[in-house]
Amino acid sequence: MAFCNLISRGWNQFFFRGFSGESLGLLRMYIGCGLLFFHTYQFATVLTLNPIGSRNYFLDPIWYFHLLGIQYHIPALSFIVYALLMTATVGMIMGKWTRTSILIVILCIFYLKGVRDSFSGDVHHRYIIPMQMLFLFLLSRCGEVHSRDSRRDTYPPLQEWEASWPIKMMQLYVALFYFWSVIAKVRVSGWEWFSGEGRIQEVLIKRSVRWGMTGEGELVKNSLSFELAQRPDLIQIFSHLVLAFELGFPLILFIKSVKLRAFFLSGVIIFHISSFILMDVNFLLIPFVYLIFFDLVPIHQWLKIHAWRLFKRRPSMAG
Amino acid sequence: MSKRTITLILVVYLAIIWAAVIFRIDYFPLTWVPMYSVYEPRETISVKVWDKDKYQKGLKVTYRDGSTGYVSYKDLNIPKPNFRRLYYSRMFGTAPPKHKQGNIELGTLNQWVRGLEEDEPRFEVDWEWRMFWTLNKTLGHEPSDPKFIIRIEADHQKRVYRKKDLLRKDLTTVQIDTREALIEWHDEWLPRWEHGIL
Repeated sequence: MAFCNLISRGWNQFFFRGFSGESLGLLRMYIGCGLLFFHTYQFATVLTLNPIGSRNYFLDPIWYFHLLGIQYHIPALSFIVYALLMTATVGMIMGKWTRTSILIVILCIFYLKGVRDSFSGDVHHRYIIPMQMLFLFLLSRCGEVHSRDSRRDTYPPLQEWEASWPIKMMQLYVALFYFWSVIAKVRVSGWEWFSGEGRIQEVLIKRSVRWGMTGEGELVKNSLSFELAQRPDLIQIFSHLVLAFELGFPLILFIKSVKLRAFFLSGVIIFHISSFILMDVNFLLIPFVYLIFFDLVPIHQWLKIHAWRLFKRRPSMAG
Repeated sequence: MSKRTITLILVVYLAIIWAAVIFRIDYFPLTWVPMYSVYEPRETISVKVWDKDKYQKGLKVTYRDGSTGYVSYKDLNIPKPNFRRLYYSRMFGTAPPKHKQGNIELGTLNQWVRGLEEDEPRFEVDWEWRMFWTLNKTLGHEPSDPKFIIRIEADHQKRVYRKKDLLRKDLTTVQIDTREALIEWHDEWLPRWEHGIL
């Protein structure tokens, strides 16, 4: 009984404490702004297609296309869905018909991601975290604060527990996502993955050499990656750092100091930027989701005071 | 919603995401394998070198009437990165990473859950047939048409580095191979054609 009480207390302490309704509303707005860039970056290749060009019959439809019987791509439809996606994301940011907007965002991502991944069968994982967050936003009352909806209708004020659980679950999911990454590596490849002559070296070589050589025998791209690939001792250090941060990511849930959390996440951001530059691993924009680890109320206040002042102070071109 | 309902939702949600990890479910938006996980130790590292001019020209095809031509990413109306995967991977029978991750070290539990025998792969796709399907269907060719594609060809250069040489910074001993893929249409696939890939 005492054990059950302990778990219950721990559960309540973790999931139902820490954030206000205002924090949740602001998080919805800021994550929405991040998504505007993220969507465009992710679906840019689909937007390069000829809208009146041929209908491509997919090589390997994603599981839900399979289920729904979708076997070819209607190019013009992707442009329409993208426009709808951006409009609904703006709706989400503004809090206009918030739940409906989030639902439309989710459906549009399913469609566009399905299209992009079905052409050749490679299923990417970049939308997994944003999708989980959108799902939690959808279930929450995030549209009742800092929103157009709240100007139109009056809602009862959000309790601390109502505002906290979606954010805490998002935090937990992100922490688990990195933690699972280690589990998967060890399950599939063993600890060998982390050795100096392991997976990182292999990816560095592959990503640098694949663009070919110039007439003078130089690499066309990524010569830095090729140089690094010849230093297994250095790779070993980096791979241990990767192991440490992925394994230790859940600890962020217990770090109270904002500065320490920011420091840890800066390290993760550097990791994503480096792996993009050196290995072409395209998780470059994913750090926008780390906003969930901060209470945005003081940040928003600060921006309201300082950022607007900066805009106002900017000298005019004519002046 | 009450606190109790939310607790129930969270418990179900956590159970689902953990079940995906335990049972190796990698169907968007669930995953058990977030990033590059497959590594098979080898003495060498082999790299497919992309030839921009070649893949932009496209896959070399032979039609039923004996004429030849090229099918590019523009003809298929797909993004360049996806076409590169067709050209350099699927043509050579290489499956996407998702399949590789799903087939390696499945474990007794996951084999049992899926009713698989030992060493039986979880994902097995006939990429050759699918290549003919995607090219011909997209271009509007039916099996009886003279312009139906019956042969597809691709080739690429492969550079093979020995790890020992990399350690010594000796890059002169790279082995350069040319790999060619040639796949041909089989008329016994005709019943499949009617059915499609779904």
